[in-house]
Amino acid sequence: MPAGSRAHGLGVGDSPPPCLSPESPTERGRPSSDPLPMQETEESQAAAAGAEGAESAEEPEDDISFSDPEDFEDDISEEELLGDVLKDQPQEADGIDSVIVVDNVPQVGPDRLEKLKNVIHKIFSKFGKITNEFYPEEDGKTKGYIFLEYMSPAHAVDAVKNADGYKLDKQHTFRVNLFTDFDKYMTISEEWDIPEKQPFKDLGNLCYWLEDPDCRDQYSVIFESGDRTCIYWNDAKEPVAIEERPRWTETYVRWSPKGTYLATFHQRGIALWGGEKFKQIQRFSHQGVQLIDFSPCERYLVTFSPLMDTQDDPQAIIIWDILTGQKKRGFHCESSAHWPIFKWSHDGKFFARMTSDTLSIYETPSMGLLDKKSLKINGIKDFSWSPGGNIIAFWVPEDKDIPARVTLMQLPSRQEIRVRNLFNVVDCKLHWQKNGDYLCVKVDRTPKGTQGVVTNFEIFRMREKQVPVDVVEMKEGIIAFAWEPNGSKFAVLHGEPPRISISFYHVKNNGKIELIKTFDKQQANTIFWSPQGQFLVLAGLRSMNGALTFVDTSDCTVMNIAEHYTASDVEWDPTGRYVVTSVSWWSHKVDNAYWLWTFQGRLLQKNNKDRFCQLLWRPRPPTLLSQDQIKQIKKDLKRYSKIFEQKDRLSQSKASKELVEKRRTMMEDFKKYRKMAQEFYMEQKNVRLELRGGVDTDELDSNVDDWEEETVEFFINEEIITIAEPE
Amino acid sequence: MFSTDKQMGYQCLVSFFDLRDPTQIESSEPYMKIPCNESKITSAVWGPLGEFIIAGHENGELNQFSAKSGEVLLNVKEHTKQINDIQTSKDMTMFITASKDNTAKLFDSTTFEHQKSFRTERPVNSAALSPIFDHVVLGGGQEAMDVTTTSTRIGKFEARFFHLGVEEEFGRIKGHFGPINSVAFHPDGKSYSSGGEDGYVRIHNFDPQYFEFEFEA
Repeated sequence: MPAGSRAHGLGVGDSPPPCLSPESPTERGRPSSDPLPMQETEESQAAAAGAEGAESAEEPEDDISFSDPEDFEDDISEEELLGDVLKDQPQEADGIDSVIVVDNVPQVGPDRLEKLKNVIHKIFSKFGKITNEFYPEEDGKTKGYIFLEYMSPAHAVDAVKNADGYKLDKQHTFRVNLFTDFDKYMTISEEWDIPEKQPFKDLGNLCYWLEDPDCRDQYSVIFESGDRTCIYWNDAKEPVAIEERPRWTETYVRWSPKGTYLATFHQRGIALWGGEKFKQIQRFSHQGVQLIDFSPCERYLVTFSPLMDTQDDPQAIIIWDILTGQKKRGFHCESSAHWPIFKWSHDGKFFARMTSDTLSIYETPSMGLLDKKSLKINGIKDFSWSPGGNIIAFWVPEDKDIPARVTLMQLPSRQEIRVRNLFNVVDCKLHWQKNGDYLCVKVDRTPKGTQGVVTNFEIFRMREKQVPVDVVEMKEGIIAFAWEPNGSKFAVLHGEPPRISISFYHVKNNGKIELIKTFDKQQANTIFWSPQGQFLVLAGLRSMNGALTFVDTSDCTVMNIAEHYTASDVEWDPTGRYVVTSVSWWSHKVDNAYWLWTFQGRLLQKNNKDRFCQLLWRPRPPTLLSQDQIKQIKKDLKRYSKIFEQKDRLSQSKASKELVEKRRTMMEDFKKYRKMAQEFYMEQKNVRLELRGGVDTDELDSNVDDWEEETVEFFINEEIITIAEPE
Repeated sequence: MFSTDKQMGYQCLVSFFDLRDPTQIESSEPYMKIPCNESKITSAVWGPLGEFIIAGHENGELNQFSAKSGEVLLNVKEHTKQINDIQTSKDMTMFITASKDNTAKLFDSTTFEHQKSFRTERPVNSAALSPIFDHVVLGGGQEAMDVTTTSTRIGKFEARFFHLGVEEEFGRIKGHFGPINSVAFHPDGKSYSSGGEDGYVRIHNFDPQYFEFEFEA
């Protein structure tokens, strides 16, 4: 008997037994290619029976019979044979998946029952065809809960999702659940497995750098066109390297807002580093990541990659929880033109993004839409959070008869605390002061009847009742605007190159905005305030040859004018003591270096770095001192400065001592070498004389005897001086 | 002895003429030619006793060629880019190389041992050793064709003075409008001259402070 026909030798999906010739299935009416073993056995048995019975009707070549021997007993279970078919076997429990239980249904008597059923029907047939319903009763009234059965479990799931929480009326809000859920919740095991304790990863003191006894700040430097990244202590004499690694990042680096982490970019995602040794703290896998943003509280990281997006699974923007490394939520993103797309509130509680005509505000940690829906704001052009509170400012341009508007909205209440109408607006830009004390809206307008564009600054005083607005009119085009951090001044660069002026304004408490001072004929296109306020640097970057002006705005005096030719960036340190101006290799291929200045404009260091790219100061977290403590320290400043000055003097002399030592050793080594060379030279004197035919060429005056001295006189000038007039 | 450039199909060669032999001068045939296959020679000077020449190559290598046989006696690679100039000290026991890799290096003539390095931010076109002091002057600047993209402000190109022992810069002399291509000390060490891309040759006499200068050590 051929072996191949044994049913138990075949599984489902196996190819037909090798001895089965292609013709025979059709001959004998067998199913083709992948017959189900059971069917085949039956068929083969039938066919075999037929074959045995009717020899003449078959092909003579097939004298193989596929039937089992007479006493064959199936030793295989039905599950094994028919596993896949059995799965579809109707179960008792089937249909339960399509049943939902609705609670909080009004309890009505038989007179109102018909009406109730109609209402329920109307509400719930939205999710699918209701095939069955059951209103259990007790004492003549419905119990208050009902069962509904749908055509398919999918409808039931839909109903649960959408009808749960449905408010029928004031007293009745439906609670909808799947019937099977009850089962699930009732059979929860009594035993509770204690979740496995994850080993505590001691990340070390992430804020160790704040404890530096010399109060030095750190900064990161990328050089060698991105191949090397190094972190330095900013020491006034020269930078002290802490950690230098080749290929630490593939493009550039970013510090987190409070300085705790350093983020590096890689093809596969982002890595976060921190602690004393800059160990890797966390990794976020986001293929092709290009841009990132931190939440101000450093709890969340937003990454953008144009590669990963699919229709069903939005992955262009992902929000991560930094401590756990988990993906919290993904979003679509069409373009990254205005990064960051998501703007965070100052405390990290909310983040929002603007799409056409919509402002979507999400809350953390749930990552869900605030109040479950976005704000519809027709024509919204731009928005920004106040850095001092959960207030959003946004503006909408003119729409037919409705003038342009700037609105301040409080969140989460969504209350509009201030609306300001603006007329003939071309464009608006929102500038918040660092503490959220003031908002400046730069409005470009074309007044009626004119052609040109005029700029106004609308200053909103956030801390005063009902947010009064003052207007400053500017006569010239604006190049740059910047608020003083921690203060109530702002600086404006205005004019047309080459006649550019800088004006300083003070927003006074009495409702006036005073122009303090204007300096004209400035070579500047950007304003850099010190993060502590009061001092600023005006810089003419890129095309303006790196002109720098250091200004003290307490009395608006220019402290120093200097230049860093072809400077491309200016960075203040977080304490406001130092300024770094740099020429980045990304903008200029020569003279790549960064220079360190004091806040007064005194140049301290010039650091040349081969193909220097970027310097970023490590931010500091906000101070933990109270205002009173700060006042106290300022009073005692004299005492502290004495100690610091002493320290400085000591370290200065130490440095010069070291330098002097080094120089001395180098000189001595060199002198030794020269002595040896001299000796060698003297030894060779004879050879030299020989080569040069006895003429000594060792010294310029070696052969004085050979020289002939000749005195030459030649005529230079003739002058006739009349001594006396001849009479 | 002179070297020829790799141009117009001609290979780079070092040609040796014996000036005492009149036939060589008449026929312009050197007694020896050393071909240079890999990296062309960009600068060459005689060694102290005329036994060998010191040649600098486009790839930064230094070779010591025997003047008799033409074989390579020594080879070092300390520079990473083309060597622009080689000048020997007055007693020829050491020489200084100026390279496009922004450094100038001091070597011993016979052993080719690297003694000192002087680092700048621009390619060094020429370097000269003072005959009376342990000083070296470096002249350089941007590549000639890139000059228009850098500061063409007046006198921005400088000749820089370094002390040999300490490898530190102690002075700069401004004045050229373009990159400096050649520098040389006067044999008495009391002045130096520089020639630049701007077409000017400048002769400077040192002031008394130069002769009194010393590093604190």
